Formats: sequence, structure tokens, C-alpha cells
Amino acid sequence: MTSIEVQALTKEYGTRRAVDDLTFTVLPGRVTGFLGPNGAGKSTTMRLVLGLDRPTSGTATIGGRAYATLGEPLRHVGALLDAQAAHGSRTARDHLRVLAVSNRLAVRRVDEVLEETGLASVARRRVKTYSLGMRQRLGIAAALLGDPEVVMLDEPSNGLDPEGIIWIRALLRRLAGEGRTVLVSSHLMNETASFADHLVVLGRGRLLADTPMREFIHARVEPGVRVRTTDATALKAALDRHGHDAVEHEDGHWTVRHARVEDIGRLASQAGVPLLELAAEEATLEQAYLDLTATEAEFTAQPQEA
Amino acid sequence: MGFRPVLHSEWLKIRTLRSLPGALLALFAATTAFSALAGSDGSSDPEFDPLFTALSGVLPGQIAAISFGAMAVSSEYHGGALRLTLAAVPQRGRWFAAKMTAVAVPALLVGLLTACTAYAVARAGMGSAADGVTTGEQVRAVLGCGIYLMLMALFAAGLTAVLRSGVATLSVLIPFILVVSFVIGDAAGTVADFLPDKAGQIALHQTYDGALGPWSGLAVTALWTTAALLAGAWSVRRRDA
Repeated sequence: MTSIEVQALTKEYGTRRAVDDLTFTVLPGRVTGFLGPNGAGKSTTMRLVLGLDRPTSGTATIGGRAYATLGEPLRHVGALLDAQAAHGSRTARDHLRVLAVSNRLAVRRVDEVLEETGLASVARRRVKTYSLGMRQRLGIAAALLGDPEVVMLDEPSNGLDPEGIIWIRALLRRLAGEGRTVLVSSHLMNETASFADHLVVLGRGRLLADTPMREFIHARVEPGVRVRTTDATALKAALDRHGHDAVEHEDGHWTVRHARVEDIGRLASQAGVPLLELAAEEATLEQAYLDLTATEAEFTAQPQEA
Repeated sequence: MGFRPVLHSEWLKIRTLRSLPGALLALFAATTAFSALAGSDGSSDPEFDPLFTALSGVLPGQIAAISFGAMAVSSEYHGGALRLTLAAVPQRGRWFAAKMTAVAVPALLVGLLTACTAYAVARAGMGSAADGVTTGEQVRAVLGCGIYLMLMALFAAGLTAVLRSGVATLSVLIPFILVVSFVIGDAAGTVADFLPDKAGQIALHQTYDGALGPWSGLAVTALWTTAALLAGAWSVRRRDA
């Protein structure tokens, strides 16, 4: 089993710390969402793991080895960093052949990943004729080329159409299900929530959270219950009797905090309150993320320097 | 991870970009055309050098060789292409050596073919004016011409790795070559003889009055190229991709 180990990793550009004393491990068999606002250090961390940038201090290893010491690294690690990396004047197939040949991968793999990413029919077209979504698919095809145990994708759903988004979600789940280590950066919360099991959250180069996604959400946002009734007075009285804290909204529905639908439904039924609507309000990753980052100064509006 | 798969990959990169074989074709066509033109323009100049006249198409033609070297490297500096390359081949020194080999070998082969053709075409146009050129001089000039074109392509390739931009390289080298060749380059026997292009071009002359001979001139160009390649290798190895 191969994991990505980041240990006290720091990268400075001039005086700016892009990555600041970062320590975390990405484990196999699950999809790890890599979250943070733009400029938080996600891409820099990925480049450091791939040995493309030199760390100022600390280490980043894959299965205990520095990336540069891997022989034929595409067989171990597949990465998508930038969908623009393919030369516009080359065909998609040639682009992948160049990569395959350098790591002595069978040309058969080129056709397999083209098929898998839905590019087989356009494989002999020049990349400059591709849409952003198709370039993303080509970048993902390149990452899968060596059938690697570790897959790192930087914003893979960028530019994908709705079908593509559903496709990549299934792909990531499948890769993790096969026991691979999957690290996917994103700044889209709902998107990340749909595929991630685990989260690593960065802010200003520092580690803000490294927890399972469910835990991350539940630790920050209490679920609530949404209720609508024709008899607000009776509902309020019933809720008060049981010590529930309810808030009425403008359109006439109520939110009961820290409660479960089972309890509120039974309670309303016993009190004979007519209900028009009763639903669990699931806490979202977005709420949890905003709650976490609200404390970080950089995420709130800062005065712009002239 | 050996050198051969990396070289194969770099060679495939050159083959699959239309502009790079295009530049080599331009090298052949431009050099041959300008040499043929020079050969048919019978000269009565007392300082007439039939060998250099026959190969003078190299002066404009070398710009295609320089473009070939610059473009082969500059394609790595667009849209994070180098990151993808170095993720596949993390041994940067090995990668750079493979890239330079993939530039040098086609440049040398096309350069030799170009020199042979250009000389033959120009010679046919000159008639008896070129009778004084010995076989040895012909072989030396054609061989030297091929090596010279390869060295100029590599010089541009190394410089591009330092500047990380093909546009920057070409906008330094092309004016440099044009200015040096047509303004200060005519003064033989001066420091101009030691400039990267002028030194190597001595091999194309039948006779040349100066400190350098044909082979020592090529050696001076080779030194410039080596310096550019070392600087390029240093830049690739040391800088963040």
C-alpha cells in the first residue's frame, strides 16, 4: 500500500510562505479532498510531492521514497497539474505516446486510457481544437496512463460539463475502491462533498484540518429540522415544552436546531399540530468549511493594498 | 530508468510537432536556394572565394537551424509542459541530455545533407570559377557546415533553457547574427572571429586570414555551445519547474 507522506513541509518564495510546516498523510483506499481557497498552497504542495519544486525544508514522500528516486514514476504516481500542459499542435494520442514511451509503458495503455476518458473518437485531433473539458479529460488520461497506485488531481472538474462531473465522481470512487491513494484538490465544496471520504484543508499554507469528511461536517455544523405548519402557535408551544430551540423564517417555515426528524415528527403528532412539511436539514460541507475559515483572517475581506 | 526510453520520447516529441520537421525542411530549402542563387551570380571579385560562395546559403539558412533548436526546447515552457515532462522523467540531467541529443542528431544529419546539396547546386552554376577547390577542401567545408549548423541549433537550445522562452532566444540570436554578419563581421582577423557564428563559418572558406583555422574556428563555436548547454543544464536542474 502506498501513501503520500508530507512531513514538516515548508516552501518559501522570497519572503512569502506558500506552504508552512505542513504535516499530513494521504492514505490508500479512500478519496482525500484537498481543500482551501486559491493561493492556500494546494498546487504548491502537489508540485513539492512530485519533486518539481524544491522544499525550503521538510520532506514529501510517496510510500517512503522521494519522487525523484522512483524508477519509471508514471507506474507509481499519476498526476494532473495543468490541463494546458499538452502542446496544442500535437494530437492527443501523440501526447500520450510521448509520455508512455518515456516510462516504457505499452502503447496499448494509450488507447485504453483514451477509451476510458471518452476521447477515443477524437484522439487523432490536435489538442488545440479541444475544449477545456476535453483537455481535462486528456490530463486525467495522462494521469491514469501508468495504472498508478497513487493519483493526484489538481482541480480535475474544472471546465467539465455535467456529464463529465458525474463521470469523474464515479472514476474517483472506483479508483479509491480499487485500493489506490487518491488526492483531489478543489475549491468547489458541493463537488468535493460528492466524492471525498477524507479532507485535508489548507489555509495560507497551513494545515487547518485533516479529518474524515463526515466528522469534519458534524463537528462544525449541527443538523436541524425544517418544519412548516398551519398552526404556528401550537407548534411553538409544543417545541418549547420539550426544550427545542426554533426559529421562524420569513416564508413561514421553522428551523429547529439540534434536533432530529424522528423527535420533531413524534412530538408534533402527539401535540396534534398539523404539519405541512417535515424534513432533515443536512449540514453541508460548505457550511462547515465557511465556519472553519471564518476564523482565518485571509479569508475575510482584507483591505487591498494600493 | 535508462537513457534510451527518454531519448525515444524526446525524439517522438520532435517528430510529432509539425513545426520542428518544418524548420529542418526550411533549413534545407533556404540554404540550397540561397547557395544556388550565389553560385549562378558569377563573380569577378579578386577576393572571390568559390567555396564560401557555394555555401553562403548557410548565412540565411542558419536562422532555421536556430529556430529548430529554440522551438524544440521552448515547447516545454508553455502551459506547464515541463512539469508534465519532469514528472515522467524526474532525472533532470538525463532528460536534458536526451533533449539535446534529439536536437543535435537531426540537425547534424539535415545539416550535412543540406551542405552537400547546396554545394553541388551552387558548384554546377559556377562552372570553371570553382575549379581551384580541392576535394579535401570540399569535404572539410561540407562536414564543417553540417557541424556548424548542429552547433548553432544546440547553442539556441541551451540558451532557450536558460531564458525559458523561444521568443526571447530568437530575439537575441537573430539580430545578433544579422548585425554581426553584416556590420562588424567583415573585419577578418579581429575579435569578431571569436564570435560563435563567425568562428564556425571559417570552416566554409577556402582561405581565411585570421588567428583561427577551419577546425579551431569550429572548436571556438563548440565552446560557445558548450557554455550555453552547461548554463541550460544548470537552469533545468536548479530551478523549480
